[in-house]
Amino acid sequence: MSDALAFLWLPFLVAICLVGIHAYFGIQVLKRKVIFVDLALAQIAALGATTAFMLGHPAQSLATYGYSLAFTLAAAILLAFTRNWAGRVPQEALIGVIYVVAAAAAILLIDRAPQGAEHLKQILTGNILTSGPHDLALIMPLYAAIGLLHWSLRSRLTGTGSLAWEFVFYATFGAVVTSSVAIAGVLLVFSFLIIPAAIGVMFASSLGRQLAIGWVAGTVTSALGLAGSFAFDLPTGAAMVCAYGASLALAGMLYPFLRGDRAHALRTTIAAARWGAAALLAASAVQLAAAPRADQPLLDTAEAMIPVLRSLYLSRNEAATFADASTYAARYGADAEQLNELERRNRTQGEALDDFSIARISSFLKSYGEMRKGEQFVMQEVRARARERIRWAGALGLMALALVAAPLPWRRLAKVSG
Amino acid sequence: MRLALHAALAAWVALASSALAEERIEVVTTTTDLRSLTEAVGGERVAVTSLVPAGLDAEEYQPKPQDALRLKSARAFVRIGLDYDLWADRLLLATPNGTIRRGAPGYVDASYGIATLEVRGMSVGPGDGHAHGNGNPHYWLDPHNAEVITASIVAGLTRIDPESAGTYEANRTAFLARLTEKIAQWEAKLAPMRGMALVAYHNSWPYFARRFRLDFVGFIEVKPGVPPSPSHLAGIIRLMKERGARIVVREPTEPQRDVAFVADKAGAKIATLGGAVGALPQANDYIALFDANVDALTAAAR
Repeated sequence: MSDALAFLWLPFLVAICLVGIHAYFGIQVLKRKVIFVDLALAQIAALGATTAFMLGHPAQSLATYGYSLAFTLAAAILLAFTRNWAGRVPQEALIGVIYVVAAAAAILLIDRAPQGAEHLKQILTGNILTSGPHDLALIMPLYAAIGLLHWSLRSRLTGTGSLAWEFVFYATFGAVVTSSVAIAGVLLVFSFLIIPAAIGVMFASSLGRQLAIGWVAGTVTSALGLAGSFAFDLPTGAAMVCAYGASLALAGMLYPFLRGDRAHALRTTIAAARWGAAALLAASAVQLAAAPRADQPLLDTAEAMIPVLRSLYLSRNEAATFADASTYAARYGADAEQLNELERRNRTQGEALDDFSIARISSFLKSYGEMRKGEQFVMQEVRARARERIRWAGALGLMALALVAAPLPWRRLAKVSG
Repeated sequence: MRLALHAALAAWVALASSALAEERIEVVTTTTDLRSLTEAVGGERVAVTSLVPAGLDAEEYQPKPQDALRLKSARAFVRIGLDYDLWADRLLLATPNGTIRRGAPGYVDASYGIATLEVRGMSVGPGDGHAHGNGNPHYWLDPHNAEVITASIVAGLTRIDPESAGTYEANRTAFLARLTEKIAQWEAKLAPMRGMALVAYHNSWPYFARRFRLDFVGFIEVKPGVPPSPSHLAGIIRLMKERGARIVVREPTEPQRDVAFVADKAGAKIATLGGAVGALPQANDYIALFDANVDALTAAAR
């Protein structure tokens, strides 16, 4: 627990800062309908940094930052104009073009520089987990200044003003995105930008309330995502993005309950859940009947969670063979690991093994691998044959479960037929 | 007049050099290490090109149209094998050049005869940063393995150019003599580090560790391309403190941020080692690569 706290408090503070500014920009971006503008700006900034790198400037130098900023400002001018150009071609399409061309141009540049690919990757795939106090020291004053600027210009930066105000909007947004993408990566920054803003817009209409809801949702989701990534041993950025997706889905599901007829919403939800379950069961029934040897996602998941289910359709002999093969597969795996461990220890301890002994170990390991694969094949084959045998009965059973799950009006049907 | 003279001179130089190039046997390797070793045994008889340029991650390389052209005119093709340069398979399938296809005389899989480490059938056991069931592919990082690798290369070159067999064998013997001398020096330099706990970003170093008796106790990257989870990083840092690991080994293509983060938390130094020839500026051939790596390690241990 203390480990978790020691690890997560800094990323959490960084996440709060990022949510703070991005939720605001997200609301603006949603209003202007330029959803992917952050990706375009981040990619342009990366192109600027790549150009600096190509010209021989080190990665974290002032020159590199200058190039990034100059490219971003140029892109901001371009983006400010896209609103006027967007007639038959939507603005979002132009933004998409800026994004792909900047990405492709960076790849072409990188192709000429050794070690450039890793450099580009580092600009665009920050890792919030390894963010530190220096990141906070950079973004806190920057975001505070930009936030204040926007607050004082709030009557001008509405998205309907002149080109100059649009430029100010995109330029400040570019400065925010350039720093945040380097810290948290493209995927997570996009989530910070869009999801809290979307939740805010969903439940409120004034900017103040939208922001408040977005900030609370973003902070809670970040905390859950970080905690989940620690508890379940998951890559942090990806876990947080999925947590954000889940929070948006949850908000979508809660919406009808908070804004409308609750009883009706409850009925609809239950009906939808039952239809969903029925569809899943029916599809599994068809899959089992049509291709019993193929993967059966529903059955496989159920068996993995409750292994006893297997005894429902495996005969006693089959069950014994299955268990036997499973034991042997585990044993071969363990034996191989032991051998690997022995070799690893020998690198530093005792008399070094000669190449001949190493070659023998490696051929033993290969045999163990083959034997293990063989046992796994036996397990698959036993199960596939048993499923083939029960395909019709199993499919019928699943179909019956699907009928039970489906919210069909049985009584009315009974009346009609009766 | 002067212009014409220059043009004539340029044409002559071009002709002469192309004639010289025709003399040499064109060999294509997948990596710079194999290029260096092929040059060591081929000497003046060969002109070697590596498909992966120096400093790029060979495991993530994406072939370019030029690579197909290079293969077309090559008489021998040398690869790492062990699923390391899998992308080369598609190039080989597409090439009309029959002499370098799998099984043809000009095809050399340098992993042939190598005593492989960390063989894991089909991804058996805990993740160690590799999806390689056939064993860890970084075998050229044990300089002793150069003996086996160069033997395969000499065999391949001899198949396509039997007249020069004696030259190749003599070159190889001279190279191995020099290498043996160097290995003794490197072993002496690294002897004080025997058993010292180290952490690396990626599991590229088992062969190197075995030869020089180093102890890599953990890796930051669990699966290639997947950022480490917080609990994994916490575990690594705890392990480093328990085992007194004071050095984190990083290759130049690996993310600076994550390595610096771990090193900082565990109070360790970062040693930047080259995983291939050309990865570090001073590592311009196979022997210089080990010189650079040994120096970087001893400097960090000081």
